[in-house]
Amino acid sequence: MENKHQVPVTVLTGFLGAGKTTLLNRILTEQHGQKYAVIVNEFGEQGIDNDLVVDADEEVFEMNNGCICCTVRGDLIRILSGLMKRADKLDAIIVETTGLADPAPVAQTFFVDQDVANKTKLDAIVTVADAVHLSSQIEDHHEAEEQIAFGDVILLNKIDLVKDEVIDVVTKRIRKINPFAKIIKTTKCGAPLKEILNLDAFSLKRILEVEPDFLDSDHDHEHDDDITSLSFVSNTPLNMEKFQDWFGKLLQTKGQDILRTKGILDFKDQNDRYVFQGVHMLMDASPMGKWPEGKERSSRLVFIGRNLESMNLKEGFENCKSA
Amino acid sequence: MTADVNQFPALDKTKFEQRGIEFKLGIPVTTAVSVGNSIAVGFGDGSVRIFTSGQSSDAIKAHKGIVLCMSKDGNHILTGGDDGRFLKISLDGVVKEIGNFGTRWVDNVTANNGSLVCSSGKIVYLWSPNNKEPKLFEHNSTVGGIAFDTKGKRLAVSRYDGVTLWKKDYTKKWVSSNLIWKGSHNKVSFSPDGKYLVTSMQENAIRCWRLKDKIDFAMSGYDRKIKSFAFVGETSYLATSGALGMGVAAAICWPFDGEGPMGRQPTCISYTGNNEVTVVEPFPSENAIFAGLSDGSVFLSEIENKNNTIIIRSFTGSEVSAIAVTDDSSSILIGDMNGNILWTSIWDK
Repeated sequence: MENKHQVPVTVLTGFLGAGKTTLLNRILTEQHGQKYAVIVNEFGEQGIDNDLVVDADEEVFEMNNGCICCTVRGDLIRILSGLMKRADKLDAIIVETTGLADPAPVAQTFFVDQDVANKTKLDAIVTVADAVHLSSQIEDHHEAEEQIAFGDVILLNKIDLVKDEVIDVVTKRIRKINPFAKIIKTTKCGAPLKEILNLDAFSLKRILEVEPDFLDSDHDHEHDDDITSLSFVSNTPLNMEKFQDWFGKLLQTKGQDILRTKGILDFKDQNDRYVFQGVHMLMDASPMGKWPEGKERSSRLVFIGRNLESMNLKEGFENCKSA
Repeated sequence: MTADVNQFPALDKTKFEQRGIEFKLGIPVTTAVSVGNSIAVGFGDGSVRIFTSGQSSDAIKAHKGIVLCMSKDGNHILTGGDDGRFLKISLDGVVKEIGNFGTRWVDNVTANNGSLVCSSGKIVYLWSPNNKEPKLFEHNSTVGGIAFDTKGKRLAVSRYDGVTLWKKDYTKKWVSSNLIWKGSHNKVSFSPDGKYLVTSMQENAIRCWRLKDKIDFAMSGYDRKIKSFAFVGETSYLATSGALGMGVAAAICWPFDGEGPMGRQPTCISYTGNNEVTVVEPFPSENAIFAGLSDGSVFLSEIENKNNTIIIRSFTGSEVSAIAVTDDSSSILIGDMNGNILWTSIWDK
């Protein structure tokens, strides 16, 4: 087998005016000693140093694979395949999406195309959010909400322009939509690049380390957000067959409304822990070695999506417990 | 599929390798095109080299990053790169810039009756011999591939959801019609008789249109995306990559003679090993194909007598990325992703 070196790809998303261009300029101009390619839409500037700017049109198409919500970005497949032919290897690739874009097709591209999946890997979705305007943007534009829901890292930017109380409110709002993103508070997107790039957030191994940060008791019903998250924990081992049956059907029928899922599962009579993560209907799952000794085995499951209340998730999950 | 697998004893070097000349350049080969008895090779550092009689020219500095595509124009070559430039290069290394699109890549280049043609983004640009400014052909999504029919009268442009077919009407104005099939279409080609148009799709399938009545159908059942296909021989087969099974890679060849491929079975030429066919290249004037595999090996097979298969190049460990045969069919050049190049004569002396 050839040595599988995969170039990490960071997806940079965020609503109009949040500060994506500021961050891109930083990535392109800072002395970081790394070689990056930046795939942009109509970006006026040229790369400085050794960096590479590639112009793309954000073009999505629907796969004819019977999966109703499986849209992917063909232009990204073309450009990533091209970049892999370079003589000098890239340290990372950054894909900028436009302010009104849904991040799902970019993520799905990495599940769908074999060449892209062999040679590159989705590293993380980084969402730049405007601390001043995020609350109103979430209310008015479903795209802004989706970008928060998909983020592995959320740069809460422009915090110098708002009071601390506002930052708290916005942070809580983000947490309610997305309990497992890492939130970094910044002015002028001034976070160290190592907290943004090369995070390996989509690797199944990393899921073992992430503890969702739920605001348990703090249910404020001030805002009725469209996208929410739900999580479930069970100390009773699950029946594998029942779980696969329930979860498979769930993604098949509700995959459009379920944006992201992550989980660690404890199946009855299995020594390994099972880890999975998914984007809409597409899922990546694998056994990840034995349970650590002395630690209690348990299953944890997180959903981010729309209309989660209508899916009887709790009941469905309960039914998967082994008798 | 397993009944007629071609098996070979483990060889150190084939006779073709023994009598050929090998280059270890360490730069990925991206494309190769024959021009007379020379072969031009494009690389992943933006350079081009011309190989003649087993000798390499110095590297011609063509593009900044990657030579993405290459085509022949008389005794010159055309190249497109990731620096957004469309170039015309002579065999002695004189580079002329035809177009420059900045940060937008040039993904396809070709020549047609003296015109120079390329695609960048959603637009195909055509420079006629007497016009300084190119004619623009615009499309709704990024161009996957471009192809002229053998007479050079029709231009096919693949894109999302099908193909745009351009031709000149009686007033010599270019007009377009659409061939529609949902999804992303990559490479496109006319059959040599001009009766069919085929595209390779993102979904592990070839889409084919019969142009007289625009009936379309799929050639499917592939395990992988079809990276390479080519029309081969006088009876005309469409040879394709993209098929593999348990321990077997295959080139699938569809018959395009008579009533065409509809409802007919393809010929399957198989090769052992856990590999994939990455490049198919016709052997000019023969009903035979060269198949390059993901492990670096290259085979020559007759389509109608597939047991007549010989190994040209053995395992190198690096994916074959380009194969070209000189115009007089005397020599072959093979390049891979690690920059190994083999030049060898095809016929025994």
